[in-house]
Formats: sequence, C-alpha cells, structure tokens
Amino acid sequence: MRRAASIAALLAAPALLASPAAAEDKVDLTTTWYQENRQGGLGGLTVIHPQLDIGVDAGEHVTLDIGYSADAVTGATATVYAVDAVSQATTFDDLRHEGKLGIGFVGKRSTLGFNASLGYERDYLSLSVGGGGSIDLPGKNTNLALSYNHSFDEVCDRANAELTPLERRALTGADPCKKNVIFGADSYVMDNPVLGLATTWRDLSIDTVQATVTQNLSPTSVLQVGLYGQILEGFQSNPYRRVRIDNNEPQESMPDTRARGALSVRLNRFLPRLSSAVHVSARAYSDTWGVSSGTVELGYSQYVGDSLLLRLRARAYQQTAATFFKDAFFYETEFTSGAYFTGDRELAPVRNALVGAKLTVITVAEDDKKVWGLFEKLNLNLKADVLLLDELAADDPDANLGGRDGQFLTSDQLLDAFTLQLGILADY
Amino acid sequence: MKHVATALALLALALAGCGRYAVRPNEKEHLANPVMQFDEDGQEAAADDHVLSNREGSAGGRGTQGGGCGCN
Repeated sequence: MRRAASIAALLAAPALLASPAAAEDKVDLTTTWYQENRQGGLGGLTVIHPQLDIGVDAGEHVTLDIGYSADAVTGATATVYAVDAVSQATTFDDLRHEGKLGIGFVGKRSTLGFNASLGYERDYLSLSVGGGGSIDLPGKNTNLALSYNHSFDEVCDRANAELTPLERRALTGADPCKKNVIFGADSYVMDNPVLGLATTWRDLSIDTVQATVTQNLSPTSVLQVGLYGQILEGFQSNPYRRVRIDNNEPQESMPDTRARGALSVRLNRFLPRLSSAVHVSARAYSDTWGVSSGTVELGYSQYVGDSLLLRLRARAYQQTAATFFKDAFFYETEFTSGAYFTGDRELAPVRNALVGAKLTVITVAEDDKKVWGLFEKLNLNLKADVLLLDELAADDPDANLGGRDGQFLTSDQLLDAFTLQLGILADY
Repeated sequence: MKHVATALALLALALAGCGRYAVRPNEKEHLANPVMQFDEDGQEAAADDHVLSNREGSAGGRGTQGGGCGCN
C-alpha cells in the first residue's frame, strides 16, 4: 500500500513541468536506497527506488519527456495499532511501478507543459494528468509559474462499504485485488457473484494546484515564494491497518475529505569569492485534519576546482497530530470518540531531523571531445542523508498507563534511518 | 489561509514591480550557476519528497524547479 508514494509522485509533477525551460536532450538515472531501523526483531524496512527520465528536443520549441520509476519495498510492519504492536509485527513486500509522459512548449519568455502518469501496484492504481506554465516578466527578473494536476486513484479494499466503522475488517495480503489492465475490478467470494463481494476498489480523487513567484533580488540572490493547495476526496485509509478498540480490531477509519495548503519561501545566495552558495528555506503547512507543520532547511554548496561540487544540508521538521489521532492506549481503553480512528504514524505528532551531504563530479566536453564519446556534460551524484524520526505523545503521558514504546515499530536507536543515492545526469 | 493568499498576492505585485530593474542581463552570471537553481536535480527532489511524504503527514508544497536567471 503506497498511497503516500503515489501522492509524492504527483507532487513531483509540477517540477517536471518546469523543466522545458532547460531545453536539451538529457538522460537522468538515479537509484535511491532507503533503510530504516525497526523494533520487533524482524529486521528493518528497505526501499529501493530507481528512477529513469529521458528528455529529447522535438524541434526548437518542443520537448518530450518520458520517465519510469519503481519502488521495491520489503521489511517489517505492524499488523495492528495497539500498545503492544511491536510484539505482533510481521513482514511484507511490495512492488510499485510508475510511468510518465510529458510534452513541453518553450517560448522566448514562457513555457507550457502537459504531463500524464500511471502508477501500478497490487492494491493501488493511480492515473494522473496535469499541466502548467511559467512566464518571465519584462526584464526577466521575475518568473511566475502555475501548475495543476488531477489524479484518479483506486484503492483495493475489503467489501466493507455498507458496514459501520467498528464493523469493518481490514484487507489482508491473501485477499485478491483484480484488475482490468489499469482499472480495478471487483472480486467475489470463491469467484461466485452469488456469494457476494470479497474485495472492491475505492476511489480517491486528488486535485493539486501550485503557484510560485521567483524573483532575482540581486546579481547573487534569488528568492522563490510558493503557495500550494490540494484537495483529496475519497478513500484515504490504509486498508490493511487495524486499530485495537476495546476487544475489537476494525480497519482504521479516516475522513473522506482532506484539504491542505502550504506556503514556502526559499532563498539562494551565491558567494563569488568562495565559489559557493547558501540555501535557506522555510515552509508552513496546515490541513483540515488538524495537522499543522513547520519546516526549515539550510544548505551550503561549495565548488572544489572545476569538477567537484559538495553540498551539505540540515533540515528540521515538526508537526501536530490529526484531531482524531490518539495514542494506542486511549483507543484501547476509551473506545473511539467518533467515527475516525487511525494508527498512521504520519498523523501523530512528529519531529524529524535530517543531515546530509552530496558530492557531484562534473565532466564537460572539451574541444569537440565528448564525455564517454557521447555526452556534452555528465554529472555523477553521490548523496547520503541520515534521519532522526521521532513520534511524540498525542495525549497526556501521565494518563497513558500502557506507554508508547511499543505502539509503533519505529527505531529505538539514535539514528533511525539513512538514505543513499547514486545518480547520473547526462546532457547529449 | 485568506490572509496568506492576500499577503502572497501583495508580495508578487511588489516583486513584479521591482523586477524590471533588479538585475541587468550582464549581471546574471552567478544567477545562471546550477547551484542557484531551485531543485536543480529534479530526481533528487522527487526522491526526497517520496521518502519524507511516507514519514510525515504534510506532503507537498516544496516549490517549483528552476531559478530566476531569465537566461532562456
């Protein structure tokens, strides 16, 4: 179940739309390895995420982009959100594919782009279409960009829709999730329609809009202000996740509608004497589920000679919990306070930190001698990030007699996760 | 959110007004440097969002790729 992954892919689409401005043939291949420590004695969580993007010019003003990415996920997961979730951990694996197409039109001062993507996995299907444009105002010191995407997603689920929240049962890995090519199809008990539905596909509609203003402040400073909004309508629960409520373990229950907005400010400042740059960004977020967050990030890029670029960065993040999220003990002992209950740690109060470094080796063709005999420019990227992930108490710790240590499988070590990334970007 | 939108609109107007003369074309050498482009490595940005959106409940809104060098 990779709903968030599909949304993340959708979020990346506006960035893709902005790329026609750099109209040149290119190949970009990156593989990311994410490793997270987890309690429970069943190992951690491993995600391998390869990405391939190819861009070609089709004439002077048109660019075409095609891309593919995948997620291979394996590791430990909790079967139920409860005080003792760690002791009931199990393992799982999942494979997700995504393909995307884009076309861009590049003018003297403006760009226009359209894109489509298709995500495919056992229990989740996502079809996304979008478009966007940007324009440089006179003087070419101010750029305005606007993009919009709509995603038609389908989530495989037990045939639960007619039941009350406390009666709903969770999907299991053994349940069938049938498809007709790229659309979900109902499955029946023992393949017999007379016996009733076993699983069905639930719709999720996602509308995303993003507007940015990018402004040259001086010959060495550029500022970007962005406003982002998204509305999700439909099934947003993890169909596999159960929540223990008294002696019952129903499927988690989320509201069907979520509206979210974010404001971001980013500043890049070049330091000519040091051949370096400083990067500063901040972001504020709020949504209708009660989650509010703040993010600050600092970065520093340093050229070492003509062919090496080192970047260091640090990021801090904190969010409040969703209004209906509770620490597991309170679901277990107080019943649910309403129709909604969840064990999603993303909806808990969260505080994360990240530090990382990236090294880029830059090779440029000289005197008609191409890099590796093929490319005008070749960048080799090696990146490593370390993450500290921390879920905080959502309810009064003194009243939580069951404690919080065992409700999530998250790491109990100082360093919770790391990311390693290797990438090649070639212009030809 | 209404106040945020109003503030952003005012900021956009202010920036648009001063943008005409902020930086002359012959002063854009440093602005054109790849390190001055936001999310210059698009795949890295997408992978970052991918990881963080699975660990945090407030995905989206990073910004737009590119910069303001006006070098197109």
